[in-house]
Amino acid sequence: MSNLLNIGKTGLDASKSSLKTTSHNIANANTEGYSRQRVHQTSNTPINKSGHIMGTGARVVSVNRIHDQFVENKLSRTITSNEFYGTRSESLTQLENIFNEVDGEGLNYVLNDFYNSFRELANQPENESIRSLVRDKADLVVKDFKRINDKLETEARGVDQKLKVEVQDVNTLLKRTADINKKIAVLEAGGQQTGDLRDQRDNLLRSLSESFEIKTYEDEKNRFVISAVGIGTLVTGTEVQELATKPVSKEQSKNGMPGSVEVYYKTRPNNPISDRFSGGRMGSLIKARNEDIQTITQKVDSIAYDFANSVNAIHRRGFVNRKIPLNEMGNPPLFDKKGPTTGINFFAEPMGIDGASKNLSLSREVESDLTNVATALDPNSPGDNRVALAISKLQHEKIAGNGSTTLEEEYLQTIGNIGIETGKAIFDKEQSEGLLAQAKNMKERISGVSIDEETANMVRFQHAYEASAKVMQTADEMFQTVLAIKR
Amino acid sequence: MSRVSENSSSASIKFALNKAKSKLEDLQLKGSTLRDINRPSDAPLDTVEGLSIKSTRSDNKQFLRNVNHAKLNLNITESSLQQLTDILVKAKEIGIAQSSDLYNPEVRGSVANEIKQMRNQALSIANKRIGQKFLFGGHKTLNTPFEPDGTYNGDKGKSTVEISKDFFVPVNLHGREIFYGDKDKPTPSIRPLESLQDDATIPTAERKIASESAPKTDDGHTSRNNIFAHLDALASGLDNDDPDLIQSLLPKLDQDIDRLIGLRTQIGSLVNSVQNSENIINTEQVDHAERYSHLMDADVAELFSNIQKQQDILQTTYKSSQGLMNQKLLDFMR
Repeated sequence: MSNLLNIGKTGLDASKSSLKTTSHNIANANTEGYSRQRVHQTSNTPINKSGHIMGTGARVVSVNRIHDQFVENKLSRTITSNEFYGTRSESLTQLENIFNEVDGEGLNYVLNDFYNSFRELANQPENESIRSLVRDKADLVVKDFKRINDKLETEARGVDQKLKVEVQDVNTLLKRTADINKKIAVLEAGGQQTGDLRDQRDNLLRSLSESFEIKTYEDEKNRFVISAVGIGTLVTGTEVQELATKPVSKEQSKNGMPGSVEVYYKTRPNNPISDRFSGGRMGSLIKARNEDIQTITQKVDSIAYDFANSVNAIHRRGFVNRKIPLNEMGNPPLFDKKGPTTGINFFAEPMGIDGASKNLSLSREVESDLTNVATALDPNSPGDNRVALAISKLQHEKIAGNGSTTLEEEYLQTIGNIGIETGKAIFDKEQSEGLLAQAKNMKERISGVSIDEETANMVRFQHAYEASAKVMQTADEMFQTVLAIKR
Repeated sequence: MSRVSENSSSASIKFALNKAKSKLEDLQLKGSTLRDINRPSDAPLDTVEGLSIKSTRSDNKQFLRNVNHAKLNLNITESSLQQLTDILVKAKEIGIAQSSDLYNPEVRGSVANEIKQMRNQALSIANKRIGQKFLFGGHKTLNTPFEPDGTYNGDKGKSTVEISKDFFVPVNLHGREIFYGDKDKPTPSIRPLESLQDDATIPTAERKIASESAPKTDDGHTSRNNIFAHLDALASGLDNDDPDLIQSLLPKLDQDIDRLIGLRTQIGSLVNSVQNSENIINTEQVDHAERYSHLMDADVAELFSNIQKQQDILQTTYKSSQGLMNQKLLDFMR
């Protein structure tokens, strides 16, 4: 008879545990990354009683979280690639904005204006005010090259800043994961799994995989290991390998900019690992800085270089627009009292392709005196427009890319390429957003809490609880009956 | 049957709403600008083509300005040549009339004055200006090209103007070819850049002293074979009552007139081709504008029907979300 009371009690306990777990689930229905939990219960070991094998009630084996590691891994990979493309489309959109001439005026427009101002000057080579127009237009070209260079540099510097913040965040995440690893090791020493802490660790891992692609496993000593793909181990159990950033010199930098930020293992400061990150925000930022921004900067520089040099080459052959007294031989002197009479550069001679757009400026002569804007191929020929014509014709000369394209084609091609890359990144981003939603959904379908389901369970467990209580009540009544026999 | 949890259903609702809304936002941007392409990535190749059309269009605008400039120059040149021809024809008539012995010296004297007057007229035409620049001075446009005795101070420079891409026309005649009966006719250079071409693209190329090729101008007046000299001779022939001299001048005047007519024909055909290319550019501009609009502008009817469609989709998404969000098993267990 006491047996009956006992069985009733195991039923009560089991149902109560289930109800507790149900309420835990409901309480955490909206907790980020929470996996629903289930009570795993089993029947007690039966006993042999007077020849019959009799059951002895139920018992709770464990409380488990419902979780699929495969789905979790997939989700983490999807997050990595979604962050990669998201960041990439963001950075490329920024770059694209620099070159967006659909709406307003950009380099192509001002270059075009520059050539046309020379055409206008060719119409009236004697006219001083058109010379000043030419100089103004040239100034706009200079300014726009500078603007583009400036914006590109700002973008690269922005990446540097973001990298610093990223590495700080990553370090925090790594430390927190190590902490949780410790707690899990303590709690799970008894052999049971702790769903809640593992959920929290998975949350941290998901945040971490936003930054770059990671791989996790448990080693032979049951230590939880996190490694970054392409880099190496970051966390082993409770040990953390922290990352660090520092600005490096132009020679050491990967993008040819002084003071650009490179990433290191804190313990190995001479071994930059920036360009080995794969995927995620960091992979994307570094790719944008070291590949996209750098390539475009070089392209624009080489356009500025070719442009300045070819204009100069023609302009140098012209003579200044003022009276040059001829010498006894009937030849013009190379200098008069206002400076050289020919061989004048229009733009200051660029030092080299590197930094050409940044350093582009009008030559000192042209800046200081409008008569130094040459149109004539002969001295003392104010009506000679051949130099102006030749400069205006540069627009259609194949002077870029080692003589294979015109500057305009080269520049438009650059815009086109940025557009294509950006379009691709936006497309990839949209696609990866879809994939991410799918992966999240898959995880939530397996691990997420359903209120309806929990409600139904609650009713079920409550009924089981009531019935078990009824069993105990019956046992009690049976005791009463037995005791009443003796009265 | 797949399981549905709170988070999975709210995530799908969010995803669906987001998607519908971002599409609508994109369409609304297009609706507000009425442009299909707002940034290069919308259609990279079309953007590049559009930008290149844009620069061609602004080049063409400049070419139209150049056309006007060329027309102005050529027309004034042409009318000057016409006046000059008139003078010479008249001088020739006088010469023919006076080449016989019919007239007495008094009459010839007064006719000689008329010829001198004509010579002054020719000189003023030779020194004609547009604005500050002299029309017939070659490249020396700021110096008076002809001195009163008919000496030419200008050079043989030809100004060319680009009136459509790669099409250059000369827009001036220099004084020598009009007034001097030179044999060496300078051919109008259609590619004025050829002299520059060879080393224009090589930045470090040795610079030649450009004046080496400068035309020498000092031997022209010595030949006395020019319109002024012919008119002078005619006047002195009349003054001196010398019919033989007058007669000998007639073929020279004929040569002058022939030369002027030849030049006028040249100018006429230039004006024609300028006119022609103006027409071509104008049609081209319209074609370019059409192509540009085709590339960049949104199809309004399609756009607004798309907006309508997307709004409907959003509405439906809202409605279907309503059922998922607001009802639970609990609602039916009270």
